[in-house]
Amino acid sequence: MIIKGKKYRYGVHVKDRKELCREKPIETMPAPEIVKISVSQHIGAPANPIVNVGDDVIKGQMIAEATGAISANVFSSVCGKVTGIEEIVNPMGLRQKYIVIKNDYRTEEYRFPNLENFEDATIIGRVREAGIVGLGGAGFPTAVKLTPKNPLDTLIVNGAECEPYLNCDYRLMLEHPDEIVKGINYLAAALNVKNGIVGIEKNKPEAIELFSERGMNVVALQKQYPMGSEKQLIYCCTGRKVPTGKMPFDVGVCVQNIKTLFASYEAVELNKPLTEIVMTVSGDGISEAKNLKVAIGTPFTDIAAYCGGEKENVVKYIAGGPMMGKNLIDLNQYVRKTDSGLLFLTNKEANLEEPSNCINCGACAKNCPMRLMPMYIELYTLAGDYEKAKKYGAMNCIECGTCAYNCPARRPLVQSIAFCKAKLKEKK
Amino acid sequence: MEEQLKFYSNSPHVKGRRTTREIMLNVCIALLPACIMGCVFFGWRALMIIALSAFSACAAEIVYRLVMKQPFPRILKEFDFSSLVTGLLLAMCLGSQVPWYVPVLSAIFAIVVVKMLFGGTGKNLVNPAITGRIFAFLSFGTIMTSGWVIPNFASSSVVSGATSLTALLKDGTMPDLLSLFLGNVQGCIGETCKIALLVGGIYLVIRGIIDFKWPLIYIAVTGLMSVALNKFDFHYFLPSVLSGGLILGAIFMATDYTTTPNTTWGNVLYFVVLGVITAVLRQATGIEIVSFAILLMNLFVPLIDKFIINRPFGFKREKKVKEAK
Ligand code: SF4
Ligand code: SF4
Repeated sequence: MIIKGKKYRYGVHVKDRKELCREKPIETMPAPEIVKISVSQHIGAPANPIVNVGDDVIKGQMIAEATGAISANVFSSVCGKVTGIEEIVNPMGLRQKYIVIKNDYRTEEYRFPNLENFEDATIIGRVREAGIVGLGGAGFPTAVKLTPKNPLDTLIVNGAECEPYLNCDYRLMLEHPDEIVKGINYLAAALNVKNGIVGIEKNKPEAIELFSERGMNVVALQKQYPMGSEKQLIYCCTGRKVPTGKMPFDVGVCVQNIKTLFASYEAVELNKPLTEIVMTVSGDGISEAKNLKVAIGTPFTDIAAYCGGEKENVVKYIAGGPMMGKNLIDLNQYVRKTDSGLLFLTNKEANLEEPSNCINCGACAKNCPMRLMPMYIELYTLAGDYEKAKKYGAMNCIECGTCAYNCPARRPLVQSIAFCKAKLKEKK
Repeated sequence: MEEQLKFYSNSPHVKGRRTTREIMLNVCIALLPACIMGCVFFGWRALMIIALSAFSACAAEIVYRLVMKQPFPRILKEFDFSSLVTGLLLAMCLGSQVPWYVPVLSAIFAIVVVKMLFGGTGKNLVNPAITGRIFAFLSFGTIMTSGWVIPNFASSSVVSGATSLTALLKDGTMPDLLSLFLGNVQGCIGETCKIALLVGGIYLVIRGIIDFKWPLIYIAVTGLMSVALNKFDFHYFLPSVLSGGLILGAIFMATDYTTTPNTTWGNVLYFVVLGVITAVLRQATGIEIVSFAILLMNLFVPLIDKFIINRPFGFKREKKVKEAK
């Protein structure tokens, strides 16, 4: 059933370039020779490695254990030998432990035992056990999200996929609608909510149809960036506004990403730990854009080679989407749970222009989905007056990039705001 | 093989199409019809003044930067045509009878003193073109306001010696509305032909560079205020809207990005007050006052932006959320 959502006025229409691999089915990339798996692929405490160098592991075996309440287990994505535990700088610029496993191409695989019942506690237990985190990019452990402080009434499924280029959620929705619906039902049972709403952008009519056919409440969201941002999505689907500084559960809502639901389905019904993710490899700089199912820990260089190699004029590698993703210095990075894209941008697509003076045009403030005033935040951040910057809403920024995308002067607004936020947090 | 240097930057990694340069060029394009009509009505002298003003404005920016020892390639790369806009706008509000040094000196003043000394594009406190005009008005007084040239095809109904606006305000002479609209009345080069200005304005609205609401509010408020000041005689509405530099000012000058507030409500306040001030000052002084009004309001923009700010999403809705539960 298609239900009518609310309109949200603020945001931009970005050139989505999804056509590069919109029609490409998800392909499973063969596991690579060597995987390097980070122990910190989520928000919260890094997991603690429980294997030693020289150990034999099989696919699906836990190699690092969650430490503390907000953390997640990490599993081996191939069978083979642990050859080392390295420190690598991750795309966020943090030094993190990576477990190196050499693939020996055995086909063994560990599965959890069948669940005895499908009650809330068991499902949450399985989701925690399987190391599932918010796969849309945030990486917040899903089990924590499933145990809110106050009772919820709605589960919102984020199928907006508003980031340009990315198609992985869309392909998953097309190819595995039944599995996702089951995932929704399991998580709804875990949360004890009756009401499930799927929010899908209007540019994916096939997906909207598939879900409404299956009896889900679907909201056709307008095609606008950033529709997939939690607060905007909640507003469009339910009309509720999350107060500033509050979380979705404060308004009785839990938002889950398509990939998270698919992974939860696999964990609950197929007893699979999280070892693979679906990501989009795209951009004009790669020979063949693809939607891939890859093993966690696969080197980005292998992915590039599998997609036919990069072309000459690549100027930027990006992990994630182009609006919020991280710029990579080189391809010596390894797939993490939260990766949803690997983009190779050429100088034509990428933003390489030098910033000039802000002309005070107001475009940034006009479109900011959080209704902030980025030009003043930047002005005061550059002047070192962080308290003033806070007055214009710095702390509420979701770093969506809408403001900088539109800025005719190419001001690095997001960078300034992020810096200001860090400074403000430091002070506290 | 040497590693090729990749670009490294914060998100977002893609960009919109709009750039400062593109915006400024679009404004120039929007000014073209008015320039052409000015030349048609006022002949080659108008062309000369437009050219002189535009050239001096651009030259002033480049020379200023050279004096500041900026490398020439960088100047070229950063040249964003905003000086050209200033030059053109300034010419638009000069009469075609002024001697050659008026546009040159005012353009140099506008660029160097009002814009570059404040830090270049976007840093100016007030609109350079308007300040240039006021500079000319104050320094060359009588040259600016006397000896208006009657356009080539002027109808006989025009009173010579004063613009129709001055006539209207001083002795209540109703001008011929059609010629006011078409532009064959005496006045400044770019101010007279309302059709050309409207075409330019519509172009800007279509390109999404200005919001049609603001000029409309400004013009409407000015018109209604004039009506109110003249004992609610609605005959005053159209003449006061169509005469003088109101339409030019509303479309091209008052909407200047740098000198307008950045919030919707800030803009509403700005344009409404601007309209009121324009009408009141016009009535009180009996001269063409749009530029003074805009200049005055420009000074209040930082203040407006300080007190009217956007509330972050979800800011004051806490109560509503509770109700929903
Ligand atoms: S200020 Fe923050 S929330 Fe607003 S558009 Fe910019 S990045 Fe997005
Ligand atoms: S969009 Fe850019 S130029 Fe315009 S006000 Fe914002 S920061 Fe300034």
